[in-house]
Amino acid sequence: MLYKYMKTARMAALERTNGGVAYLFPDILIKVFTLIPLVYLWRVVMSSGADVGMSLEQMLTYTYVSALLADMLVIKTTATGWLSDGVLLKLYGRPLSVFGQLAAQTAGRWAPMLLMFSLPMALMAPLFGVRLIPVSPLFIVSLLLCVTLGFAVDFLFACLSIKLRNMNWLVDRTRVAIAMVFSGTIIPIRLLPFGLADVMKYQPFACLGGSPLSIFVGAADAGETIALQILWNLILWPAALLIWRKSQEGMVSYGG
Amino acid sequence: MADKITLRRVLRLLAISAKMDLVWLLRDTKFAMIGVLGDIISNLGTVAGIFLIAARFNGIGGMSADEVLFMMAYSTLVSGIFTTFGTGNNIHISRIIGRGQLEHLFIQPLPLGVQLATNGFSPFTSGKMLVGVALMAIAVSRLRLRISFLWVVALIAYLLTTMTIIVARSYLVSSMAFYAPVAMEEISNTAIEDAWLISTFPLSGMPAFIQIPLLTILPEGLVAWFPSLCLLGKPPLNLSPYYPMLFALFITLIAGYVFKRGLNYYVRKGANRYVPYGFRR
Repeated sequence: MLYKYMKTARMAALERTNGGVAYLFPDILIKVFTLIPLVYLWRVVMSSGADVGMSLEQMLTYTYVSALLADMLVIKTTATGWLSDGVLLKLYGRPLSVFGQLAAQTAGRWAPMLLMFSLPMALMAPLFGVRLIPVSPLFIVSLLLCVTLGFAVDFLFACLSIKLRNMNWLVDRTRVAIAMVFSGTIIPIRLLPFGLADVMKYQPFACLGGSPLSIFVGAADAGETIALQILWNLILWPAALLIWRKSQEGMVSYGG
Repeated sequence: MADKITLRRVLRLLAISAKMDLVWLLRDTKFAMIGVLGDIISNLGTVAGIFLIAARFNGIGGMSADEVLFMMAYSTLVSGIFTTFGTGNNIHISRIIGRGQLEHLFIQPLPLGVQLATNGFSPFTSGKMLVGVALMAIAVSRLRLRISFLWVVALIAYLLTTMTIIVARSYLVSSMAFYAPVAMEEISNTAIEDAWLISTFPLSGMPAFIQIPLLTILPEGLVAWFPSLCLLGKPPLNLSPYYPMLFALFITLIAGYVFKRGLNYYVRKGANRYVPYGFRR
């Protein structure tokens, strides 16, 4: 059974490079051009000397790891486009579970960028003064919980796109914007001003990318962070399954 | 026989697009408003991050928090203009090319350029424009800028220049979709949306090897940072305040040449993307 999902993942990985590996170059270029200025932005900002509870080294590592593992920290499956991109037809036409296929496809789609962007940039990390060794091994546990929660959040957004009758582009952009501010992948939650940090650290998006990254650099209590991640998984997974079951009946697709 | 193109004709075409936008808003108000709201949230999410950093650290690299707010307001205005004039994928042109939809435009009795310039006009559902104006008013007020007629002219000139750079760059990279429709269908999205976060970075205080590539190779520094500092009377890097205009002219000429070559290739080869049951390959 697992073999079928492995094959699905492999197909998804190959699909991204169908046109040729060279066509991934623009995406890689943008990622590099985002990461390097962001590293220097933090250098400039942190040089002001303000005490934010994180050192420059921690901040740089946080930013760097966030870029390397971006696809895993905020999960994006193809589900939001299932009414317009023919995803629906493919998923329901195969003798495999829909969730299983989406998970396998998503993991498979990570592979090209992990190999072509994350791996080379990880090797180049010392050039930017970044140390890529996690402070706590619990980072792995937190990352796994982040990924499972990410799938639940993604399915909820996918259900929203069904409810909004195919406005998947809008759902996608809104999700990206919310994740950008609330997940802590760009700006650590603890750095938010106006007292926002104290409130924001308990919301579900904070249990996505920001949690494993904070544990990686030693800027959060691992036990407390993982407990919160487990709690949100326990709340959002049943909600996602229930809403998805109801949403299936609302799927209407007429081309793309 | 193609219609004669006059200013009146162009305005009428814009009015047709505006009418369709208004009809969407009136007939499907709930979903149209959700669309507007989502668009505003997505833009605010992008600019809020950098502003929150500036607020937390009392500025970034010599720019005060209010100056960063001004820059974010400029970025939102640009985004608003983009949404107002570009909702028909007419700026995300690689989607039209890659999906084999240029033929839809070829059969209309209007020049391609006129159709592309007018068919994405949606003034009634572009909420970002209003947010941009509001943010700009707040930033100007907090900075206590003295607004003169010439300053407003300069603001409009910089906004037009920024839009020219965005459109020209999109058309330049989208030309690859003529040759590789499937692989390059979303290249304009990569060039515009994926790179938008970089354009919100205040580059002040960063080393030259970061600033210069972002003003030349990947001109995200010209989308908000450089024009904002010019409008604040502080053109960066000892460059002329007219540098963005010069760059816009340069990239427009290159984009025009490359796009025409690609178009010539496309009219001979086409792009057959649709499968019999309606979806794209």
